Amino acid sequence: MIRPLGIAVLVALASTATAAHAQTLREYSSTRQDHGESRLATTIQYTGGTLELMPAPAGILYALRLTYDADRVAPVARFDAGTPRLTLGTEALRQSGGVRVSHRGTPPAATIGLGTRADLDLDIELGAAEANLELGGIRISRLSLQTGASKTVVRFSEANPIRCSEAELSAGAVELLVVGLGYSRCGEVDFTGGVGKVTLDFGGRWSGPIHLDANMAMGELVLRVPRQAGVKLELDKFLASFAPAGLVRSADGRTWMSGGFAGAGQQLVVEVETAFGGVTVEWIE
Amino acid sequence: MSTFRTLRHAPVIALIALLVLPAIARADEPSDVLRDVWTRIQQIAPGQDPQAAKPRPQAVPSGADAPTIALRDLSHPISLEKSIRAAVATPAGQLRLTIPDGQARLGDFSIGSDQTMKGDLLVLKGTADVYGRLEGNLVSWNGDIVLHSGAVVAGDVLALDGQVRLEGGEVTGEVRTMSSPAAEQAPAVARSPLSQIVRSLAGTTGVFLTLMLAGFGLVLFGKSPLEVTSDTVRSSFSRAFIVGLLGQILVLPTFGMLVVGLILTVAGILLIPFVVIVFALLLIAGVVGGALAVAHAMGESITRRQMAQGRALSPNSYRYLLVGLACLFAPWVVWTLFGWVPVAGELMLGAAILISWLLASVGFGAALLSRGGLKEQFAGRFIPPEMLTDEFLWATPRYGVPAAKRPDGSTPRSGTRPPDGPR
Repeated sequence: MIRPLGIAVLVALASTATAAHAQTLREYSSTRQDHGESRLATTIQYTGGTLELMPAPAGILYALRLTYDADRVAPVARFDAGTPRLTLGTEALRQSGGVRVSHRGTPPAATIGLGTRADLDLDIELGAAEANLELGGIRISRLSLQTGASKTVVRFSEANPIRCSEAELSAGAVELLVVGLGYSRCGEVDFTGGVGKVTLDFGGRWSGPIHLDANMAMGELVLRVPRQAGVKLELDKFLASFAPAGLVRSADGRTWMSGGFAGAGQQLVVEVETAFGGVTVEWIE
Repeated sequence: MSTFRTLRHAPVIALIALLVLPAIARADEPSDVLRDVWTRIQQIAPGQDPQAAKPRPQAVPSGADAPTIALRDLSHPISLEKSIRAAVATPAGQLRLTIPDGQARLGDFSIGSDQTMKGDLLVLKGTADVYGRLEGNLVSWNGDIVLHSGAVVAGDVLALDGQVRLEGGEVTGEVRTMSSPAAEQAPAVARSPLSQIVRSLAGTTGVFLTLMLAGFGLVLFGKSPLEVTSDTVRSSFSRAFIVGLLGQILVLPTFGMLVVGLILTVAGILLIPFVVIVFALLLIAGVVGGALAVAHAMGESITRRQMAQGRALSPNSYRYLLVGLACLFAPWVVWTLFGWVPVAGELMLGAAILISWLLASVGFGAALLSRGGLKEQFAGRFIPPEMLTDEFLWATPRYGVPAAKRPDGSTPRSGTRPPDGPR
């Protein structure tokens, strides 16, 4: 009885048929040369994986390179020259069982380059993604960033060549870091946050006063402001902590101001509503 | 005799069949391994030039009965690729394609610097070199597209399973590339049914041993609450299940109300972290303790039944737990051994989950009913434990044949108070 059992075990060990279901990874790229477009309403939608966004090389209007799971998502690269409107990224397939967050094999990844000659009305919608967005040097006339459950870093390493009317930042359960908002040249910054840690860094060269309207449900909001900037902060909090970091409280009890706010060359007016969590102001030397 | 020997080997043959058949059935291609080996031999064999496999450049004939592939819109490359794959899956020499307002070429193809080609172009299994001007879309399948200096494509460019090399050329439209799915599949974790069984068995054994150790610890340090909860399971099974079900539904609202209540008291906010931890610990204790109590009750019932049949066993809580846990894990062991069987494996997993959930609900409910084993109200204990002396048990048989033989002839029904018991 032992011998046949041993044979059975050997046969079973020898059978190396793959039983695991593999994800079907594919690579896709889409590029368009710059043909003198001056404006472009651009939407970037990315469901899951890692995303790198950066300025495209000269002569390129946009470039998308994707590694994606063909069983779950489909690549999107739509350009309408008439409008003109551009949509790049991925969209979830119907009946795909949702977006897979964890991946044993090669993780889905996207690299997007955006041209630096056209003025962009830029909408970025991220799902369960880990994103690194370098927006320095891109001509952004308006910015909207919506992140779901993700870790997102937004950088303005260079000044925006044009004025940006507003930046709308909306974050779900995330860790969001925005660096160099001074370079963004956005006069209005609206932030709505759910849960997580959010850091808004106002470093860089300012082109005018900045108004920040922040609404944070639960979590930590850190405001990093250049030392020479004047800060006026109106705080409406419920069960939240606040570290004023040298700001002086006014008579009404809700407004905090830095010394010499009125005469400061860079003025930041902040309105914060927060329930649980904390608001911290840090100075950049 | 030989029939007997064959029958004796039948389980072994069945085991071999069970292990090997699914492996064959689940393989995408039975000849995968052989094909891989052959591919490697071809790669290392001298004189084997991959370019030699390229077809001789030629025009692909069209015809009324030929499949039609439209290249006017390249924004859906996946569907286009499917169409091309289906179209070229014909025997060599019989390939026919109709490209509306365009043409198809097999093998390398080039457009000269002084040439202007009008219409869409499809190049199969070859490199498309463009030096001149193409007024239409350009698609390659299993080959690259090279746009040399001075080349102009007034349209879109798409390379399916190939690259687009812009060497100074201009494209007025979109440049797309898409790899074939087979080339980019992630390395799958190869797992034979045997390794799957071993893996699942290791997990099941680990959970079993953990619960067994927890149960033994409970017997050692909290025997009384365990027995009370176990008796509650036996005496109030349905009630415990309903309470367990309600408990699961009300766990989150109760937790929410607790936290909100603490927040409203302001001073209680400081207690929230402790309350969260204590609540979680109590919940875990309720679920795990309840499950162990169910195992204890099952083990006790089985052991007593075996003893009633005359087997000499040592009735103690350790045995009860071990036997009960073995029963609880029986469905999981079955799933572990046969979980790889298509469809039946999923059904077994579902059954194991359902049974475990039902019993865990009963245990959780019993833990709630007995207030963690402190309250005997639903444990079916009508006589205080201190009254359960050997003399009482000897003189007052409650059920069975001895009870039937009592002088008054009355046998108390299960769950009723004995007529001569203390009140």
